[in-house]
Amino acid sequence: MNMFKQLFKVYCQEFRLVIRDPGIIIFFLFLPLAYPVIYSLIYNPELVREVAVVVVDNDRSSISRELVRNFDATQEAWVIGYAADLAEARRAMDNHDCYAILEIPEGFGKRIDNNQQGEAVLYCEMSLLLRYRSLLVASTNVAQAMGAEILSEKIDLIAPLAETIVDGDLMPIKNITMGNIEGGFDSFIMPGVLILILHQCIILASGMAGGAKRERPSLIGYNSFNEQPSVLMTMFGQMLCYITILMVPIIYLVHYVPLMFSFPMAGNLFEILMFLLPMVLACVGLGWCFQGVVWEREAVFVLWVVTSVIFLFLSGLTWPRYAMPGFWKAISDCIPATWGMEGFIKMNTNGASLAQVSKCYINLWILAGTYMMAAYCVQRWVVRPSVLKGFNAYPKIKSDSI
Amino acid sequence: MKAIFIRSVLQLVRRPIYWVAFFLLPLFCFMLLTSLMQEGLPSKVPAAMIDKDGSSLSRNVTQNLGGMQMVDLKESCNSYTEARHLMQKGDIFGFFLIPENFERDLLSGRKPVITFYTNMTYFVPASILFKTFKTTALYTKAGVAMTVLESVGASPQEVTPLLLPINIQARGIHNPGLNYAIYLCNSFIPGVLELMIFLVTCFSLGQEIKYGTSSKLLAMAKGSIVKALFAKLLPQTLIWIVIAIFMESWLFGINGYPVYGSWFWLTLSEIMFVLACQGWALFFFGVLPNLRLSLSVSALLGILAFSIAAFSFPVQSMYGAISIFSWILPVRYNLLIYIDQALNGVDIYYSRIWFVAYIVFMILPFTMLWRIKREMLKPVYAP
Repeated sequence: MNMFKQLFKVYCQEFRLVIRDPGIIIFFLFLPLAYPVIYSLIYNPELVREVAVVVVDNDRSSISRELVRNFDATQEAWVIGYAADLAEARRAMDNHDCYAILEIPEGFGKRIDNNQQGEAVLYCEMSLLLRYRSLLVASTNVAQAMGAEILSEKIDLIAPLAETIVDGDLMPIKNITMGNIEGGFDSFIMPGVLILILHQCIILASGMAGGAKRERPSLIGYNSFNEQPSVLMTMFGQMLCYITILMVPIIYLVHYVPLMFSFPMAGNLFEILMFLLPMVLACVGLGWCFQGVVWEREAVFVLWVVTSVIFLFLSGLTWPRYAMPGFWKAISDCIPATWGMEGFIKMNTNGASLAQVSKCYINLWILAGTYMMAAYCVQRWVVRPSVLKGFNAYPKIKSDSI
Repeated sequence: MKAIFIRSVLQLVRRPIYWVAFFLLPLFCFMLLTSLMQEGLPSKVPAAMIDKDGSSLSRNVTQNLGGMQMVDLKESCNSYTEARHLMQKGDIFGFFLIPENFERDLLSGRKPVITFYTNMTYFVPASILFKTFKTTALYTKAGVAMTVLESVGASPQEVTPLLLPINIQARGIHNPGLNYAIYLCNSFIPGVLELMIFLVTCFSLGQEIKYGTSSKLLAMAKGSIVKALFAKLLPQTLIWIVIAIFMESWLFGINGYPVYGSWFWLTLSEIMFVLACQGWALFFFGVLPNLRLSLSVSALLGILAFSIAAFSFPVQSMYGAISIFSWILPVRYNLLIYIDQALNGVDIYYSRIWFVAYIVFMILPFTMLWRIKREMLKPVYAP
């Protein structure tokens, strides 16, 4: 009974601590509530449409004009005008008016009339690969559609019989995109980012809570001390407190944000929550380890914020894990966000079941266990002594002495 | 002034947090990003083949696909369900399906359908796979068309150009191999630098207010806020400029990312970038002269910059109301100058506006000096 009493006391004390600290509350509530909305809004147009293109048509035949018309009609490209020569087009590109130049050489139409291949060149500016990708799709589609038309017009002349065989499409090619079915950028990046936000908000909040404990009460105006005889009980109470507070943000992140912005939602909410439990535990553990190096509340910003970029890249969302050099892959294995993001994306976007992401799930439990054990050591031998020493494990700043 | 400068240097040297923020974290990010994407493109995308036909033609297709540079046909499945399971587990990023009786149907004109599936949940591998699958399917189709047309009496010379009468070659200027490292590192690494400059500037100033040492700082500068801030921030400026120049040589020298323009403008841009970031940080420190709030704003702007400064998704495609925010970040101008001066190598005339924007960021904090001074005279720490 005594143990439960102790636990309950820690739980309440920690709750009071979190609620009275506006910094921690911002991390626990504002960050997971506002960030996903801002992010999703940035990418919400999903596709890169209407990329500006300037045309240099040295042929001026009916087929070259048709090509330009068809190219302009695609959703990806937008022909903003003709230029007299490449130099003029180049000036438009230098002036940031267009991002590609379509050059149709002289004799383009004639070559096609003579049953030869007509070649045009699309020069793309390479600052953003999404633009290049859009233009590539548009140009391939236009070339194929017009090619098929020309083929069916001409085939009769070459081999009168062939028409009966090549009537329509000889071998239709179908392409089906799975998961993120529209191939949108928002739906691709956001499910992963949601988990990263959750990951970072737990660690930042717990880091700040650790910093608060080690500061002088004269500065922060209240006693931020949570001193129970058992380190383990203290950790357990704090963990329960964090999980209670995180309930709302987690459900909001994994259910309501995808709902608002119509991201793919193929997963089962209950299974996703089960999946995220070890990730939350691992993050809490990592946060407690992080407390070992945080001597004041605000240091968490300087020390931890940039890791979001590091974790994003190591997670394999932009650069797939199979192509990572071994060293970085090993580091990415140790980050809860890597497995959390991978598993959540598979469940949420590809509709995988918990059993299918068992590899991620097991790894998350291993990480949770490891970080919890490390956290115990850090709390027991680093944080607790410095808190007990009377808040002043902090003469190292010496700002006032200089 | 000299005394403040020395005091400021000592503060930086004595606290490990500054060592981490100035050197460890930025340099780690430089290393990580460039070495992670060393290969340029993540080739050998794991994929699967479902060959339900098992004819000589379908085996041929499998062999052709397996020989493509960008794909690694690691699995051979018997059914769609099996392949989909593998995809959901993340073992493969897509699969290619050849239907039953493919060869027979094809030769008898029954138009069998070839289908390929790509998992667009992972953008980069899926795009590579899409391209490879499509090429393979088109080659197969062309081969089949040749056979069919020849069987009705057309000569190969007549038929070949007809299979692809129009060809539009897409050429990427100055990055023909679609090197991902060139594209991502040149924007994300300055982004990391910007974030760290914001954070350190606000942190070091906020510390003075938190510990109540700011009035002493002002007294040392004989009440001049300009002198106080100048001497306080100068050591940081110098360190950041060294790091920015190192970043430039790391990217364009050591890693050899393309520079088609002039090194002079590029270097000038990096130096002005550092000053612009500090100016911008000083400005919002003036607006919110509180350690935690100014750091929150630093983190918010610094992290959002990776998305809103259009490192991957173009500003032109964003909603208008959102896209205007891309202009309030120094790193956006760093990116634009890099694109103009390094990647595309255009005349400096076209980049003139971006340099002016840097100067605006440097001037902005002067409008807030009075607030910073007021706060420094009566430092109050709010947690």
